[in-house]
Amino acid sequence: MKKTINVFSATFLVLAVTGIFVSDGQAAFHLFDEKLRVKGSVYEFMIYRTNIKDDEKQYRDSDLGLMRAKGTLELLYKAVEKENLQVNVFGFFQWWRESVPDVDDEYHRSMTNSNRKRFQGPYYDQDDWINELYVDLYAGKWNIRLGKQIVFWSEVEMVRTIDRINPLDLRYTTPGIDPFDEMKLGLWMMRGFYNSDLPGQLVFEWIWVPGDYEGVRTPREGSNWGANPGPEGKAELRPRPFGQGAAVNEMWRKSQPAFSIRNSTFAFRVRGNSEVSIFGEFYLLDWTVSYYHGMNNTPVANRGKLGEPNILNMDPSTTNGYLNNLAIRRLLGADFLEVPRGLWEYKFFDAVGASCQTYVPKLGAVVRGEFSYEIGLPELKAYTDDVEASPSYMKQIIGTTERDVINAGVTVDKPLKSNWLSQRWGASGVFDCTLGWFGQWRLGDVSRIRRTFAYQDRSQTNFTLTVRTRFRNNEVWPTFRMLYNTRNWGYGVFAVRYTPGKHLRYELGYLWFFANNPYAFREANAEDNDSVYFRIGYEF
Amino acid sequence: MKKTIMFALSFLFAAQCFAEEISFPTVSYEGEELAAVKLWEKSWSGKKITAENVDQVKDFLHEGAYNAVKNPEIFGADAIWFEVVPYRPYTLSKGIIEATKKYAPNSKLDEKGGLVGYGDVAGIPFPQPKTGIEMAWNFDGNTRGDSHTEVQFGAVVDCKTRFERETEQHRWELYWIGRCDVPPTPAFSKEVNPRGIARSFFQRHAAPADFVDTTMLEIKYKDPHRMEDLWVYTAMFRRIRRYANNQRTDSIDGTDMIYDDQDGWYTSVLHNTYEFKGREDLLVVRHQDAAKVERIKGQGYWSGLQRERANLWVVEVKNNDKNYIYGKQIWYLDPEDWHMDFKVMYNRQGQMWKMYEFGFDEFPSYGGQTTPIFNTEHIVDFLRNHGSASKRGIKEVGLEIPTTLFRTKSLKQKSY
Repeated sequence: MKKTINVFSATFLVLAVTGIFVSDGQAAFHLFDEKLRVKGSVYEFMIYRTNIKDDEKQYRDSDLGLMRAKGTLELLYKAVEKENLQVNVFGFFQWWRESVPDVDDEYHRSMTNSNRKRFQGPYYDQDDWINELYVDLYAGKWNIRLGKQIVFWSEVEMVRTIDRINPLDLRYTTPGIDPFDEMKLGLWMMRGFYNSDLPGQLVFEWIWVPGDYEGVRTPREGSNWGANPGPEGKAELRPRPFGQGAAVNEMWRKSQPAFSIRNSTFAFRVRGNSEVSIFGEFYLLDWTVSYYHGMNNTPVANRGKLGEPNILNMDPSTTNGYLNNLAIRRLLGADFLEVPRGLWEYKFFDAVGASCQTYVPKLGAVVRGEFSYEIGLPELKAYTDDVEASPSYMKQIIGTTERDVINAGVTVDKPLKSNWLSQRWGASGVFDCTLGWFGQWRLGDVSRIRRTFAYQDRSQTNFTLTVRTRFRNNEVWPTFRMLYNTRNWGYGVFAVRYTPGKHLRYELGYLWFFANNPYAFREANAEDNDSVYFRIGYEF
Repeated sequence: MKKTIMFALSFLFAAQCFAEEISFPTVSYEGEELAAVKLWEKSWSGKKITAENVDQVKDFLHEGAYNAVKNPEIFGADAIWFEVVPYRPYTLSKGIIEATKKYAPNSKLDEKGGLVGYGDVAGIPFPQPKTGIEMAWNFDGNTRGDSHTEVQFGAVVDCKTRFERETEQHRWELYWIGRCDVPPTPAFSKEVNPRGIARSFFQRHAAPADFVDTTMLEIKYKDPHRMEDLWVYTAMFRRIRRYANNQRTDSIDGTDMIYDDQDGWYTSVLHNTYEFKGREDLLVVRHQDAAKVERIKGQGYWSGLQRERANLWVVEVKNNDKNYIYGKQIWYLDPEDWHMDFKVMYNRQGQMWKMYEFGFDEFPSYGGQTTPIFNTEHIVDFLRNHGSASKRGIKEVGLEIPTTLFRTKSLKQKSY
């Protein structure tokens, strides 16, 4: 393969660094008598690994983790503007190219052809280039939105609790660097609002996703955030890029539900704004109550095609058999077998949720809380350790079950002021601090719940901290984010964003991961992914 | 019965006597003072004031404005100039005159400085004020035509490096109480305003690029002890964030202005103590043709302002919070409709830190009346040679804005 840096990335990088882009102009521009608004951005996002371990070096020629050029185009067309009827059409289009596999031969070889192709551009689904495209209709108290949309139901950052409508694409970045919202996958849906005049200014919202299912896109095997395509050590496995992770990815993709009304997702939410007086103090509560019925964004094994849960099962038409067979074939260097369809199933579950935020004068802080109760969340089962002592990710799958799960989160946003700082360097003098607590509890017996991560955990607790401030009249934005899980894993990010003028944007950051047990959770598995990242972009 | 009638008659008579003492509108100059001003204007009206001749009008300029013209390089300009225009009294709306004459005779303050009956009255409560706090309540009584919409085009300017960042906001502002012109007056009924809102604004950002479609909703309450509520929908994160009240001293979008600075002073009158410092005859911007202001790239202070003389009320303002960002502010209030012509902010070390100057003009408002509203502004930081200059395209004054706009649902629904 030619070691040619992607032409687009290189050109953009040179232009942006030297500032050759036009420096004057509007934030967005309008056409057709202001009926059409056009805005967009071009970004290059680079990750440079600082802590690649010897075992991983066999899968890398360089320390580059990501080199992704991304362009976005946002169009808003005001189609009808009457007093009682407004119709807008909103489109958000995107295109990207991830170039590390183009410049790093070993990285290229570490991914399957299919994974790599879908990873390097918006090619996972044929409509990936459309992030959002919908008709937005306002008539009196009604608002109807039809088309591909992204829904934001969360009040808190860094951990998801009730914000579950759109699945995430975790292949390129982590919540520490980018907010969840940047990683959401749009879904074709019908969404409606009714703005009532009832007490509490109630807004009723409903969503119907008629069968457009998307699973979570987990980091691909062999890519920066994914697992290595083979075990640690110099095992000369062939075919190299097709490890258990790639096989499972392929199984999930091939089991994805068809576009069918039967696979519809429904969700309802009521949003209110109520005033309460507690001990003479007024609290204005922004609250929501929601209900969700849809498929889980990860599948469970199809029980009918599970096969015998023992290592002697080599039947490639069953899930356990295929994975055993693949392991042996890789050791022997035999040909790779086509992954059969339908080995996994995507199952429905229900969830009820609630959220609330208010300013608490005594704390001088805004307190936000979220809660969700997931009913019948599909789970895989495995033998307990006394029957099969292998690590959780290697355990045979013995069946499926369901568990109820409770999620809760509370964040406290408190700005800390420094008058001394506010008079220096154009600083805002305000440190926006957010301290968060998040808990998750699986109800019922968890001893046989098989999870690649968080195996046999009944509960988990996370603490988050975000501190953000600004200098030079919002030109310089230093931010620190940290997540700590009580299983002793977590990550921290320190980043500085620089916005010198109207259009150019720069961001430099350092990511630090730690984990006592890398299999405690997915992010914990990235414990060696310490990196420096740099993002440069042009917005208009 | 007889006693009741006698009491009512004597009350009406007393009220009439008080009403006769009310003089409103009050102009800057009358009689000999006005004649002297007109004489001065014969020499200066229409003249362009630059660094070369600014010393000749130094007595009528605040030192901040004088320094900007004399030393334009501190605000990134080769030259900063203004034009002297003749003094013109405002033509105030019938509504504000009638409301002032109706309610001012009975205006009084409670022991904590609160305006008795606040929310059920309108107009300027103390047209002939004696104390600083009465002047502050007069400033609060100006409702700018009760509602208006505008689009603000601004620039955040680093005058040293000449870097600029554009801002553009579309704003809808509504007064729920103290209404003089647009029915219902003097306030919305309890059914429409059960939460006791005094004032609200809704704002949508159109620039800079990162903030396009960010929306903001702020609600100020009638209860002076109740803190304002502020929500921001950040389009970048698509989330409605409630803001903490102690973020009010944070700068707005990187400008030199903090949330409390909006319109001069946005929050409750009772957050400060006030001391009347006397009157000053100064050149301020009361009738500005917004098309005439100009600046070059990197200039944080407008040229082309049209200044006229006015006899301003000067009030020293100190926040009740000892740790407040400003050590003190000096407000310069217009004697005619009690808007703020400019204010100067000092840091806690006593240094002159910032100056916020408004350029007003009279705009058509409800029922064929006119209302003074500012259409240009700049706020400059003397310590850092930084400025934020903006123009406001006033779209409509005294219009009927649906109160439902000022709900949190609008934050998302008016955005993408």
